[in-house]
Amino acid sequence: MSLSYLLEQTLNGITLGGLYALVALGYTLVYGILLMINFAHSELFMLGGYVGLGVLKVLSDPAVAKATGWGFLEPIQSFFMSGNFGFVMLLVATFGISAIVVGILGMFIERFAYRPLRHAPRLAPLISAIGVSIFLQNAVLLWIDSKQLPYTRVDGSAFVTAKTAFTIGSVNVSTMQVFIVVTSLVLLALLDTFVSKTRIGRAMRATSQDREAAGLMGVDINRVIALAFFIGPALGAIAGVFNGMYYGSVKFNMGFIPGIKSFTAAVIGGIGNLRGAMLGGFLLGIVESLASGFLSNAYRDVVAFVVLILVLIFRPGGLLGEAVAEKV
Amino acid sequence: MTSKRRRFIAVVAVVAAMALMVTGCGAKKDTSDTGGTKKATEVVIGIGAPLSDGAVALGKGMVRGTVLAVKQANASQELKDLGLTIATVEGDDKGDPTTGGSVATQFTSNPNLVGVMGHLNSGVTRVAVKIYNQAGIVQVSPANTAVDLTEMGMKNYFRVCTVDSVQGPAAADYAFKVAGKKVAFVVDDATVYGTGLADEWAKQFAADGGKVAGREKTTDKDTDFKALVTLIKSSGAEIVYYGGIYNSAALLSKQMKEGGVSIPLMGGDGIYDPEFIKLAGAANAKGDFCTSVGLPIDQLPKGQEFQAAFKAEFPSEAIAAYDAYSYDAANVIIKAIVQVAKDLGADKLTTTEGKAAIVAAVAKSSFEGVTGKVEFDAKGDTTNKAITVYTVGADGTWAPAAK
Repeated sequence: MSLSYLLEQTLNGITLGGLYALVALGYTLVYGILLMINFAHSELFMLGGYVGLGVLKVLSDPAVAKATGWGFLEPIQSFFMSGNFGFVMLLVATFGISAIVVGILGMFIERFAYRPLRHAPRLAPLISAIGVSIFLQNAVLLWIDSKQLPYTRVDGSAFVTAKTAFTIGSVNVSTMQVFIVVTSLVLLALLDTFVSKTRIGRAMRATSQDREAAGLMGVDINRVIALAFFIGPALGAIAGVFNGMYYGSVKFNMGFIPGIKSFTAAVIGGIGNLRGAMLGGFLLGIVESLASGFLSNAYRDVVAFVVLILVLIFRPGGLLGEAVAEKV
Repeated sequence: MTSKRRRFIAVVAVVAAMALMVTGCGAKKDTSDTGGTKKATEVVIGIGAPLSDGAVALGKGMVRGTVLAVKQANASQELKDLGLTIATVEGDDKGDPTTGGSVATQFTSNPNLVGVMGHLNSGVTRVAVKIYNQAGIVQVSPANTAVDLTEMGMKNYFRVCTVDSVQGPAAADYAFKVAGKKVAFVVDDATVYGTGLADEWAKQFAADGGKVAGREKTTDKDTDFKALVTLIKSSGAEIVYYGGIYNSAALLSKQMKEGGVSIPLMGGDGIYDPEFIKLAGAANAKGDFCTSVGLPIDQLPKGQEFQAAFKAEFPSEAIAAYDAYSYDAANVIIKAIVQVAKDLGADKLTTTEGKAAIVAAVAKSSFEGVTGKVEFDAKGDTTNKAITVYTVGADGTWAPAAK
């Protein structure tokens, strides 16, 4: 077990951590504002993967143009498949459309499944969230496919080939890994700035501190909450597309495990705290990867949850969480 | 909240729960054609297979094979003379033992159900077979390969495919002797099927003189194998053996090749499906191996006939690993039903006596099936022990590998 082996496993962990962090941000954002755990978030992650695959296929898969008989797709596809600029645009379109579609869906879910229950006991929206989660899973199962779908073109090649970006010692770092980690860091930085610097960000913080008082001060609470339910799912959708590209498939129940892990990451970092979610995500990813590489693959979840328990014993509020007295 | 309103809510909850149960039962599709004379006795064959989760591509093939066999039987003069029609009912076990148990209970609570064609996963059968045994209903599996299933003393259990203790060693011999691989890394998906097969393979590979450089477990729902791939890379293995089904196997193969580990992956009958190549990508899957029970369909005398009938019934679908086995397994049950209907009368089929007679008749089965001679030994295992090794060729399909 050499140093390069340790480095390579850490690298796997950082990439996995980037995915966890993106999903964890959605959990923590909603919790910070509504004190509610959005159990449908893992399904929005899954839907992000499906929407992204659909967009990729329509914009770049010649077989789709043939099968549907949509001739107008061909010039569009040749633009997206020609040269580096077209390829970058293809990625922008895939991530952008997936994020926007899923973000809007997240707002719809909030409007119809959570808002009517805002003044109900805290268990009610929780159950509603579980219901939405089951509904979304079964909708994909029935309307799309029960099979695991490959995240590839018809010829089996990946939409984004995993080329080597650079080499450290004897360890190859792929473009996909760099792409995932950089994107998640940039998105966190943007979100953090947005929440701490802008006017609407201040409204979000105010709503999170005291919803009623913020409302009395003229903050449009419904708008703030809707925004949180757009941003969280949109980030989850981006993670869903990454997950499909990096690991190679989508399935209707693929959200469950990453959802639980990301929720764990959010708790480790201190739920409600954006930077905490990011820290927890990377920490969990690295711990899992090292456990899997140095102990055994069967131990990865054991070690991950031991970390959770240790954090909760010594810092019940999470690593970056503040000890807040329970609101009465 | 007034107590009246509370009571109303309770009533609504109970009604909703009952509605769920009813739709749960109603979701099973009746795929028979019930036309013709109304007086005919109708008996039902249950198809227990993973249809929404797990190895769905294989499960759907089990339904196709059975439906084809039943359709042909219903069209035959023999059944019309006996005043008998056979229907099928699907039970979705999701490849999960717990769900399989409730499917089995649903099956046995159907009074007209006289036999079960299923299940795909050995782990599911291990739970379900006991429920069928108590109800005295025959179970014929097209696909269970775990060795111990026929050693549990279940007299109602039969299978038309051979077992891991034949399949695993045959695959290991091929990897060591024909493919010339000396160092292997063995992974399984922690299911009854995957663990059993991987153990048998590893044992034989070591006995042949090969070195097992590592042994790891994943789960059948894992999609992230990056850490495992790094471990495999550092182990110096020349081949990876994966005990499990195609979903995860394909992603492991893909992530291996993408991570710079260009060694073949070998698996059992659970990965013998075009879905494996589709999920992994043809370029990544090229050179991967698998074994499957029996000989390739087109090399068997009745294979052509089956392929033609299949094409006519399901023009837009391809034959998966277990379509033919399910066709044979269904025919085992159908022939037993016909035999008992002749001996005791069609109206006796659904009685306890009739069901026991069906089990006895299945044990005595002997006919030329699509997959070869169908006969059972005293334990309920098939006497047909042929294994074929397949490999993914340049054209991106499974083809029999060079011997």
